[in-house]
Amino acid sequence: MIPTQLQEEVYNCIKCGICMYACPVYRQVNVEGASPRGKVQLIKKIQEGKFEPTEGFKNLLFTCLLCETCTVNCPSGVHVDRLLKSMRAEIVKKFKLPWQKRLAFSLLCSEKMLPLAMAWGRVLGNPLMSLLPKNGKLGTVSFSKLPKLNKKPLLDQYPEVMPSEKPTGKVLYFPGCATNYIFENIGHSTIKVLKKLGVEIYMPKDQMCCGLPIFLAGARDTALGNIRKNLEIFGRKDVDAIIIDCATCGSALKEEYFHILDEMGEDTAAVKKMSGKVMDITQYLKRFDLKKYLHPVKGRVTYHDPCHLVRSQKVRSEPRDLLKQIPGMEFAEMVGADVCCGGGGSFQIDHADVASGITAKKMKSIADTGAGIVASGCPGCRLQIYGNSGKMEITVVHPIELLAKAMD
Amino acid sequence: MKQDVLNKLISIVGKERCKTAPEDLLAYSYDASIHEFMPEAVVLPKSTEEVSRIMKLCSENKVYVTPRGAASGLGGEALAKQGGIVLSFTMMNNILEINTANRYAIVEPGVIVSDLQKAVDALNLFYPPDPGSANVATIGGTVMMNAGGMRGIKYGVTRDYLLGMEIVLPSGEIMKTGTVTVKDVTGFDLTRLICGSEGTLALATKITVRLLPKPKTKRTLLAIYDSLDDAGMTVSKIVEAGIIPATCELMDTIVMKAIEDYYHLGFPVDAAAALLIDVDGDPEVVERQAVIVGDFCKKCGARDVRVSKSDKENDDLWAARRTAFGAIARLAPQCAIEDATVPVSYLVEAIKKVIEICKKNRVRLAVLAHAGDGNLHPLMPFDGRDADEQARVEKAMDEFVEYAMTIGGTISGEHGIGMNKAKYLPQQLSPTSLRIQREIKKSFDPQGILNPGSFLEVCPL
Repeated sequence: MIPTQLQEEVYNCIKCGICMYACPVYRQVNVEGASPRGKVQLIKKIQEGKFEPTEGFKNLLFTCLLCETCTVNCPSGVHVDRLLKSMRAEIVKKFKLPWQKRLAFSLLCSEKMLPLAMAWGRVLGNPLMSLLPKNGKLGTVSFSKLPKLNKKPLLDQYPEVMPSEKPTGKVLYFPGCATNYIFENIGHSTIKVLKKLGVEIYMPKDQMCCGLPIFLAGARDTALGNIRKNLEIFGRKDVDAIIIDCATCGSALKEEYFHILDEMGEDTAAVKKMSGKVMDITQYLKRFDLKKYLHPVKGRVTYHDPCHLVRSQKVRSEPRDLLKQIPGMEFAEMVGADVCCGGGGSFQIDHADVASGITAKKMKSIADTGAGIVASGCPGCRLQIYGNSGKMEITVVHPIELLAKAMD
Repeated sequence: MKQDVLNKLISIVGKERCKTAPEDLLAYSYDASIHEFMPEAVVLPKSTEEVSRIMKLCSENKVYVTPRGAASGLGGEALAKQGGIVLSFTMMNNILEINTANRYAIVEPGVIVSDLQKAVDALNLFYPPDPGSANVATIGGTVMMNAGGMRGIKYGVTRDYLLGMEIVLPSGEIMKTGTVTVKDVTGFDLTRLICGSEGTLALATKITVRLLPKPKTKRTLLAIYDSLDDAGMTVSKIVEAGIIPATCELMDTIVMKAIEDYYHLGFPVDAAAALLIDVDGDPEVVERQAVIVGDFCKKCGARDVRVSKSDKENDDLWAARRTAFGAIARLAPQCAIEDATVPVSYLVEAIKKVIEICKKNRVRLAVLAHAGDGNLHPLMPFDGRDADEQARVEKAMDEFVEYAMTIGGTISGEHGIGMNKAKYLPQQLSPTSLRIQREIKKSFDPQGILNPGSFLEVCPL
């Protein structure tokens, strides 16, 4: 059921259309049904019993990046993204998800199968990748720009407890699947910086996938086990913060868990206690005077705002402030830094034609800055931006990687 | 619609751009008004040639066609009031040429107004028409509605910036109107006739607009008042004194609260009213005018005048103002927005009158106005699920329009007639005028297939 508050909000939509200009998907396809206004109006008709959801409606509902730009731009205060997420959960009850997604989600929910699948992926996938045709693509991302899997999961490379002699802080660290299995250098950097600052780190080995890709696709029941398990592990009280270096995982633990449990009628006491402690790594570092640790790193960097940081978590200035502190690093703000890159998780595979147009605009903004480094705290954005960089000579990194480098 | 006509439409634009699924028809059944009508098909052309072939087919088969831009209109103008197809121009959205030497631009009708504004701004040029919905509305829509907006007082309206068009007639014939020169007296001025015709005469497929050099600087003033009357009086006095600000918007406390609720910009929510005034031009002139206008406001009772210090501050204030219509939606599910316009010297009296009328009819009211040109936008939030409240809102609107007529005003300054105001037409237009307008319509569209159910047909006389 879509919660009553969201159902009532639908009537606040006065159809002014301001969301349409803001919506990267609508601006690409120019079809009303794909716009936030269109989706809200169709949901209104469903609520009123005047429209029976069709396969075509389901496709429109999933032609959305969930970038939340409509929500922050809606003067009438409609939480469009939450409405759409709720509707997705309803619609997958009627129309099943494709088998590929169901398989992927059941892997992400399994404590044993996910590491096993990743191990086989390393053994078979990494060498096989070199056999892929050079100009082939996964969605919009060139095969040649796909990342390789970590040799060993990050969680297996460190002890569970990393104490400090004179602790300046005590944190739980949630690396997320992307850091754990693909972009290990993000994790090494986070741990290195925290250690250098004297922070005690707890990295629970049995943490699960945050579940966001699963529940945003509407499969909330499937994700429930992951949510409960993570709440249990990260619910401990004796830490200052729960550190996350992935925008998406952060938005899951900080925002989405509450809404999902609330809308499913589950107990929300545990999540309320936990979510207040969740912090993006760039937010947590604000409390430290970093200057004395930093050595010059040469380069010109621009920053791309992940949707799940800038809109879901309202983190805008912190990563920029970090980058600007690095001596020798020139910071160049790009035009439309907070516009979605077009990745949207599996959106760029399911709607490659729409995504490629959105990403092309992002790539132009990046090129216009003349920066050789793009910093962004989201593995999805990283994959999308690097995967569409073509002949551009850029590297895409997490801000924490540059900071760690400056602390060498 | 017959299946063979539909098949032929598909053969022109392809299946992807000829939509008949229920979710697609529903998505094209509304605009920003309270009206809803389901079309039988939605067609999204990409070229003049496609538009021409569609119209030829529709006139041969007497299929109704209703053109649509972004459907940000407030009176059902872009809705398929009698069925048939909706012809959506959103995929014809290219800026074809910006000519800096002769200062004009040629655009396709689906270009969004603010996209054109930004594109010419980058070349130090200026497209002045600036409806509140500039981020939503298309050029084609604003041409057909002759949209006005914030800058009317100094720069006029859409019609004042039109040089020519490429149009497609209901028969499918393609025709040019106007030229690219500023002066042109060759024949009847069909460009300006079609502008404001609410999509009843022809379809614009290319539009040539006049551009101005970009004003060198701009200052935005926010004058804050403890009395709505004083704010209104300031506007009349400014105009009388011969000062021409670029914009002059009036907001009452309810509008400001609604905007502030969303925007958190520090609008003075304890004040009774505020004026948002722009002065633009050469730096020396702007500096001098800003002081004069500021003093003027204070003399007329403003308790405080804030002057913006940066472009960002200017932009924030105006972006906030643009959200007024949407922000008011927080108060109730629907919102009627009046558009009667009065000679500016009657502004204070007209505001008093609308307050009195709303009080009498127990209608909620928020006062917004493009005050500098006497264009009032009283906002009346209501819940359409409450039939009695809706009837009272309609009565209040009737009474206000009637009043505007007695002081030499117009029933609509810029939103158009559409379905909402057709009933008032005979109050302003004589039978002779209506007869001539209907004959003009007939010469463009003898079969009456273009935008059926429009104002000329709904009009009671």
